[in-house]
Amino acid sequence: MSRGFNRLLDAVVRIDVREITFEEGAQRFTGGIGSGVIISANGLILTNAHVASSKAVEISVTLSSLERVSARLVGWDHWTDLAVIRLDLEEVRRRKLSFTSADFGDSESLTPGQTVYAVGTPYGLTRTVTRGIISNNNRPFEDSHGVGGYETGSFNNWLQTDAAINPGNSGGPLVTEDGKVIGINSRAYIGAENLGFAIPANIARRVSADLVLHGAITRSYLGLVPGALQDLERFYALAANTGLLVRGVDPDSPAARAGLRPGDVVLTLNGQKLDGRFPEQLSPIQNTIASLPVGSTVRLGLKRGGQNLELSAVTEKLESQVGDEWAFAKWGLSVQKVSRAFARANRLPDASGVIVLGVQPGYPAAEAGLGGGDIITKIGSEPITELDKLKKIYEAYEAKPEPQLIEAQRNRRISLYVIKP
Amino acid sequence: MISLRRIVLLLVLAATVVGYATPLTDLFNERLKSVVAVEFFVQDEIERHPVSVLGTVVDANGTIILPGASILPGIPPGQLKDFKVYRPGSVEPSNAIYLGQDALTGWHFIRVEEKLRSQLVPVSRYEAVAADPGLSDELWGIGLRNKDEDFLPYFLSARVALVTKLPQKTAVLATEVAGPGLPVFDSAGRLAGIAQTSFGQNYLLFSHTQNAAPILLINVEESSVVLLADEVLPNLGRIPQSVTGRPIAWFGAYGLQPIDPEVAKLLKLEHQPGVVLSDLMEGSPAIQAGLKERDIVLALDGQPLPRLKPDRVVAGYFGQELLRRHPGESVVLTISRDGVRQEIKVKLGDEPKMVREADRHYFERLGFTAREFLATDGIVNRIKLSEQQGVVVQFVKPGGPAGTAGLRPDDWVREIEGEEIKTYEQALNKLTQLESEKTRAEFVLLVSRGGETSVLRVKLK
Repeated sequence: MSRGFNRLLDAVVRIDVREITFEEGAQRFTGGIGSGVIISANGLILTNAHVASSKAVEISVTLSSLERVSARLVGWDHWTDLAVIRLDLEEVRRRKLSFTSADFGDSESLTPGQTVYAVGTPYGLTRTVTRGIISNNNRPFEDSHGVGGYETGSFNNWLQTDAAINPGNSGGPLVTEDGKVIGINSRAYIGAENLGFAIPANIARRVSADLVLHGAITRSYLGLVPGALQDLERFYALAANTGLLVRGVDPDSPAARAGLRPGDVVLTLNGQKLDGRFPEQLSPIQNTIASLPVGSTVRLGLKRGGQNLELSAVTEKLESQVGDEWAFAKWGLSVQKVSRAFARANRLPDASGVIVLGVQPGYPAAEAGLGGGDIITKIGSEPITELDKLKKIYEAYEAKPEPQLIEAQRNRRISLYVIKP
Repeated sequence: MISLRRIVLLLVLAATVVGYATPLTDLFNERLKSVVAVEFFVQDEIERHPVSVLGTVVDANGTIILPGASILPGIPPGQLKDFKVYRPGSVEPSNAIYLGQDALTGWHFIRVEEKLRSQLVPVSRYEAVAADPGLSDELWGIGLRNKDEDFLPYFLSARVALVTKLPQKTAVLATEVAGPGLPVFDSAGRLAGIAQTSFGQNYLLFSHTQNAAPILLINVEESSVVLLADEVLPNLGRIPQSVTGRPIAWFGAYGLQPIDPEVAKLLKLEHQPGVVLSDLMEGSPAIQAGLKERDIVLALDGQPLPRLKPDRVVAGYFGQELLRRHPGESVVLTISRDGVRQEIKVKLGDEPKMVREADRHYFERLGFTAREFLATDGIVNRIKLSEQQGVVVQFVKPGGPAGTAGLRPDDWVREIEGEEIKTYEQALNKLTQLESEKTRAEFVLLVSRGGETSVLRVKLK
């Protein structure tokens, strides 16, 4: 293999993560194995968000020398399934260890059929290299729960490869023969043969730079759900390769407030012509909107039936449907905050309340009759608008346990429960 | 195995009959005149679904009641076809007509043709038990085999294990006592009640692949649950005035959740059972009377809600008590709102159009049935009254043009060929026109499903 490839092998690491989970009514710890690639001399490692996220409590990295070093999270972004962690350089120095960093290649110049290699830790098998080709260099692959329950893939397309990608390969690099990183291996169809997907390096490069700078990626949200126009041009009386179909509009979103409706066709966005004919073209357009500063005014030139009109909407900060999570040990109750996005998707009147993730059998919450999916809206006469409110009430309960009246909704039907010591 | 066991039982029984004619066998033969097997089928857009159930004769005009579960809710009476009534031990069918479902009891009523009526005896003609059966009292009833055994009748008996209110007075017996829907008697032949659909029983399943997997078994041929005569007799005359079961009183709260004693205690309601109201329909009698979400109903017309177990039975009780009323009647609810008791008078309305009554039309070439939008669709799909328009997809032909395009039952059609649909008639006209255009290659629908909207392109060629 080339010198560059050998150098790359020295930059690939195994990542062991211990993370906190809030399922089944309790706070628990689980372990996972992934891969990563060192991308800078100061110890920054690129991996997947589903390997290392804010839930990680302990990250340890195995270098190519097989030495283990601890690391901490710099930032993560579930939308692109990317995360950046940093090696404990103090420890590296103290133990007189060394490592190499990898270089990015240009993922735009890849062509289907080109040979590529996946390097990583499938099923814990450290330093495994598999070979394949680029099967497709522009694959749309959106998933509303793809990264540990979080949304992913709305703002980028993926590289598809037949290089074997198995659990544990996640976060490892997809490289060319000269050892340049052209993608971060991320997912595969389980049960299918050799259908693997990687985030293109050009996106990984941009996102990792932002994560290093800000710790998170801030995106704009409009609430427009696009659909491919393919085959519908005649119905909408449009020339080919013109416009973006509005498949849906999130209730109570900026787009909804501006008056956008499903079935509208967006011809221009801030004066720029749009072409959303094929599914592959949708995520770049979504990314254009998401990349605007939060609070931007977006002018949409529309075609609605025979009529042309222009609307404008002000973007909001994009939020996940998944809210913060917490567990209340003495109640045997774990919850997730209702986010605005969750409230919109489930047609709740507002984003107050917490969703019950689980209850532990035999503990007060389970005994009271609460169950997974219930939305706790009130305790006593106190509306639970924030998770912190619930934490405060719980602290008071811990100090002085007294029966608590809980108001919860299941499918919008209100029930009352009592949590007793 | 089961059928073999039954046959052995029957042989033993037959021997008894020949040997020593006891009063009980006479009673058994006499009571057979009150029970029938009923067959019909549900004719949907493309298929027939045969149904076979048991019924009890309730009057001299050939009126027969069938258990509520015999027919799935939402099936329009027009799709119920070819009711045939069979006497035990006979495969000679008599025709019957469907009269409708009673909202309070859930019973379906049918009426059999004249010629069979003389061979039938209504259960109301027998003396009823003077008091509710007590613990360990022995009751007996009739089971009927399937059609391939000529609906052969057989004897069942069991002892009362428990009498409880669910909310109606119900006896649960130690074992099965009658076919569901058939009457149950005491040893003197007095009517004790009618067997209901059986309760499920929990078992653990051990097999090569499963180790102690919990399963629920429901006996569909025989039941051990009996609705007592006190609850049956006053309602036998509730023959629906119309095939749709109307008039039906309407309150308009779709969330009726019981409060448990712990909650009552914490709310200082002195162990008074109550029902929390939620999901109130816009414009409903409940809203018009000024009721709000979170109001806790404590009493109805001055009568405190009874203490019933499990707690959810109280909600069932409240719902049923409202159904005993007629549209236009008023009820006074005692409620607790933010800890303050008050009385609110509610004038009950007329139940809004139900799915089984809704206008619908099957477009064979398009491959789906469109039905009018109902107020209950608004509740199910969380749609404000002001936004309620369009039509709902009731049926999609598998593999048909609409089905291939991805249309599914319960989808909410909002536009057809770019035209916003406001009324059912408009949709009907539009779809009829599309279906009649023989040269048309495709059309476009805008549909919503669970809050998500999509544009579907239906290819006709």
